[in-house]
Amino acid sequence: MTSLIEIQGLSKTYGAGSSAVHAFGPMSLDIDEGEFISFLGPSGCGKSTLMLMIAGLLEASEGSICLGGKEVLGPQTDIGIMFQDNTLVPWRSVRGNIDLQLEMRGIPARTRREHVTSLLKSVALEDFADRYPFELSGGMQQRAAFCQAMVHDPKIVLLDEPLGKLDAMTREHIRTDLQRLWMLTRPTVVFVTHSIEEAVQLSSKVALITPRPGKIASVIDVGLPFPRNQKVKGSTEFVGLVRHIHEIFHGYGVI
Amino acid sequence: MAMASSEHETMLERIWRWVKQSWMSIAFFVGFFLFWEFSISLFNIPLYILTPPSMIVTKAWADLPRLVSYTYITALETILGYVVAIVIAMPLGLAIAFSSILRRTVYPFFVMIEMVPKIAFAPLFISWLGFGLLPKVIIVFLVCFFPIVLNAILAFSSLSEELQRFSRSTGAGVWRTFTKVRLPAALPQCFVGLKYAGLNATVGAAIAEFIGSDQGLGFYIQITTGNMRPELAFAGIFFLTGIGLVLFGIITLAEKLLIPWHISVRQAPA
Repeated sequence: MTSLIEIQGLSKTYGAGSSAVHAFGPMSLDIDEGEFISFLGPSGCGKSTLMLMIAGLLEASEGSICLGGKEVLGPQTDIGIMFQDNTLVPWRSVRGNIDLQLEMRGIPARTRREHVTSLLKSVALEDFADRYPFELSGGMQQRAAFCQAMVHDPKIVLLDEPLGKLDAMTREHIRTDLQRLWMLTRPTVVFVTHSIEEAVQLSSKVALITPRPGKIASVIDVGLPFPRNQKVKGSTEFVGLVRHIHEIFHGYGVI
Repeated sequence: MAMASSEHETMLERIWRWVKQSWMSIAFFVGFFLFWEFSISLFNIPLYILTPPSMIVTKAWADLPRLVSYTYITALETILGYVVAIVIAMPLGLAIAFSSILRRTVYPFFVMIEMVPKIAFAPLFISWLGFGLLPKVIIVFLVCFFPIVLNAILAFSSLSEELQRFSRSTGAGVWRTFTKVRLPAALPQCFVGLKYAGLNATVGAAIAEFIGSDQGLGFYIQITTGNMRPELAFAGIFFLTGIGLVLFGIITLAEKLLIPWHISVRQAPA
């Protein structure tokens, strides 16, 4: 059986000649359908670079990526992406922003009205559909951005530190939501983060990335049951795994 | 009926709130003119140097037909020059933002020309084209064109990387990306140029008229000053200011209608 995402000998170098910066790779990795995989590593290790290359928004210097057996040669339009800075536009309401994703794809928004409403309900934003991004808290903005990334029902979802700019409490809350939503339809998720606990809580697999140039040090299977509620998070397995990853990064001199 | 009366009340309340908020600015404004009014006699300023505001009003009233017809002429020069500048500068700014050839040829040239005080060309244009409407329109155009085109270039070439990536990831074509993302994202910066140009448009018209004309408010201000009639010169200045205010009001209204979501509109200073 082939994997949904196949990464082969991928690397990225910025610039050329003596001023070239080797940012990332080489790395190879297979990601199966329905997996929730986290790329966990220090900032500047090329996690976001990798994500952009999977999305076909950044050209690889060497190696290849295949999605569902087809090589990535340009922007992939059938995936959902949440960028580090959200892509909510200030001139549209929450619903308008979600519709934007549809309209850009030539899908009339009115044909998906109910779908958008149910999506908003799933993140408890149904009462804020007509609000503008600036009227929302950071957490609510990220929920809206999540709906925007998901409205076209992508089978592959790329999330680039979607919770990075939120306060600790809001993060905790949205993590739980994210996990619940993932469990509903089980899309394949690539999640970029630098929080060890977050990676372990959300993922079925965690890929540890070394400091620049980023390489995959190891891929850890997180065998804990879903949903990873407070009880699971308090278990010795969970705590032990977090500590284990902590020690690995400590070995790199990162933490 | 009940609706009407409640609406009437909110209107009153609104006025009251406005007075409460801005009474200090109003008081200062009124105080300034009162000081002006009484300082003329207080400091024995001769009337051929400066006249009190009350006299400006009465003398302007007596000369109203001339002021109105000159206001029409100057307003026409201002609006024509401004509108032609918008019509040419906006598409050109867009083209420069997206064409690497234009960005390497026309753009540096424009940046250089922007350093030149456009008003300095006024005598030349008058000598080339005579005393008519055209040289004034051209000078207003020159004054307005550069801030509009430079801000349009900036506006259309500064879409955030994230939104560019988002647009590409949807597979949307150039036109759809433009209408749904690039254009609305560019409007606030475009308005910066439009407002700046709007503020300077009447300056261009007035100076062009100083240099060579036989009508218009600039001509009026110059002639009345020469005749030692400062009260009429002031009347001309007030009418000129009026043109500027109306023009700026129209731009601000357009801004409110087109980008009500933008922070400059949402948080306009009270």
